Amino acid sequence: MFEFITPLFLSLILGGTMVGIIFGAIPGMTATMAVAVSLPLTYSLGLENGLALLLGLYVGGISGGLVPAVLLGIPGTPSSITTTFDGYPMAQRGEGETALRIGIIASFAGGIISLVVLWLFAPTLADFAIKFSYVEKFLIILFALTVMAALSKDMLMGIFSGVLGIFISLIGTYDVSSGGNGELRLVPPGTEYWLESGFSLLPVLIGLFGLAAILEQAELGVPKGHSAKDIKVGAHASFSFSVFRGQVVNLLRSGGIGTFVGILPGVGGSAASIIAYTNAKTFSRRPERFGKGEPAGIIASEAGNNGLTGGALVPLLSLGIPGDSTTALLIGAFTLQGVQVGPLFIGNNPDTWNAMIIAMLVANVAMLVMMYVAIRWFALVVTIPKHILFPVILMMCVIGAYTINYGIMFDVWTLAIFGIFGWLAGKLRLEIAPFIIGFILGPSAEIYFVKSLESFGDLTIFFTKSWIAMLLWVLIIGSVVVSVLLARKARRDGQGGEEA
Amino acid sequence: MGDLTRVTIDFETSHLVFPILIAIILGLLGLAIAIRDRARIAAAVPYWRRTLAAMDKPRFLGTIALTLVYFSAMVPVGDIWPNTGLGFLLCSIPYILATGLLFMHERRPRQVLPLVVVALAGPVFVWWLFTYPLFLTLP
Repeated sequence: MFEFITPLFLSLILGGTMVGIIFGAIPGMTATMAVAVSLPLTYSLGLENGLALLLGLYVGGISGGLVPAVLLGIPGTPSSITTTFDGYPMAQRGEGETALRIGIIASFAGGIISLVVLWLFAPTLADFAIKFSYVEKFLIILFALTVMAALSKDMLMGIFSGVLGIFISLIGTYDVSSGGNGELRLVPPGTEYWLESGFSLLPVLIGLFGLAAILEQAELGVPKGHSAKDIKVGAHASFSFSVFRGQVVNLLRSGGIGTFVGILPGVGGSAASIIAYTNAKTFSRRPERFGKGEPAGIIASEAGNNGLTGGALVPLLSLGIPGDSTTALLIGAFTLQGVQVGPLFIGNNPDTWNAMIIAMLVANVAMLVMMYVAIRWFALVVTIPKHILFPVILMMCVIGAYTINYGIMFDVWTLAIFGIFGWLAGKLRLEIAPFIIGFILGPSAEIYFVKSLESFGDLTIFFTKSWIAMLLWVLIIGSVVVSVLLARKARRDGQGGEEA
Repeated sequence: MGDLTRVTIDFETSHLVFPILIAIILGLLGLAIAIRDRARIAAAVPYWRRTLAAMDKPRFLGTIALTLVYFSAMVPVGDIWPNTGLGFLLCSIPYILATGLLFMHERRPRQVLPLVVVALAGPVFVWWLFTYPLFLTLP
């Protein structure tokens, strides 16, 4: 049953977690980027071993963001933004090591809470989703897109980005293996040779999360790295577990919020940590201490963002819908091995499912042990010069794009096109997460939509097929209404431009 | 009402149904955004002027230029020694070196030396890894 647990499997989790922490700890580099540039390595590793590496990178990458957040006041990853609020003031007081250890333990707790939810909830949801027809499957995708757009900074732009992602995913042939007629569409004349199968998913992702991130840094002049003198870990300030006294509810609530946010498609770790932090502050007896070095703030933020890790895998493994950008990349690992994720995945691939659960568990434990024991060493990671790292990452992006489809140079150009597009998207306020989810789910949405109409010949079928379809419409409309109300409230409070 | 909602899809043209629908939705959303953000769109020229003024142009444009040259050169160089991955190797070394120097703020020998080592060792290691243990052909 657990034959996949080999020394290689465990080494890949440990190595992945360590590299992930390093990526997360360097401002400007993210867990998503770590997974993107490591994807080609999984090709020859097999599915279980490949996932071991990627999940280690994922857990490590999300956790590593707390290091610069505490020591420099700069979030290593967007999901650590609220860790800076209390972590940095603690570091300024000479309690950097204490703040880091609080964050590490909270990260571990958040990761484990989300893992339990994943283990219990994903198979149940998948069992339920097996009964879905094309109509319900189409509505689930529509629901995923509206939720994601509704939780974007700008709902209209979020929907536009998601629909644009769908549109671009439709370029190429209407896939015969999925019931299509094999005809080309949306392909400009002269590009049929390259675009026959459309843009390949992985070069698109590597471009958006690898090249685009480095272009953003280049635009800013590649800010100089930090020297060891900037790092205030603290003179071995004593850490005591008594800090967690009275924080169990905060820990559970924040981990739960992170997990729930992770389950919602396309909502990132920054939203998870912000919501968890805001709740911790609201329910605290000492809200005035938040933002001034309150350990409860670090606990909420880190339990919240690590809670995302397991949560984001729930919709991926039960419905085939990625919960965030990094899990969208995991689809690439499955695609490389010819495995399709969706309601049948857990039942048909019990070994892979078990391997993922074990890998997540080991990655969380490895993250706890590595960071707790060697936090002073990981703190030095923030001093690695970017002028050395970035060119190497760019080279890795090229290898990733080139090897993913056994050596197609057009995939490298796809990486360049979407890298520049990713940079431009930030300027045009397009939302990358909805775009990616739209791009991934677009071809499935088309098949489900067209086949539903071919079978039933009536548009009303989308409303009347079953009680699930009706429930999904209620949820779709509800998500849009809630979003509009929240946007109005934010405008009234004068916070319309702030991140949700 | 029943006739209004009835749809017949011809298999021969079924590849156009969804793209057309999505294009219409995209157009309508674009129109809605254009109407809502008309003031911002009208201020696009000053916005881009500010963006360009604040941008580190040598590093940003240099990165794009070097990357495009790197991508363009890999295949022609690789064709000189087909199926060896040397196109990747011989282009990656100068690319890493040039990009690293572009990103550097102080180009003293003490800072440049580690970059030179990485620019040589990094591509060689990756080329070896992909060519031998992983058996993946590079350009």
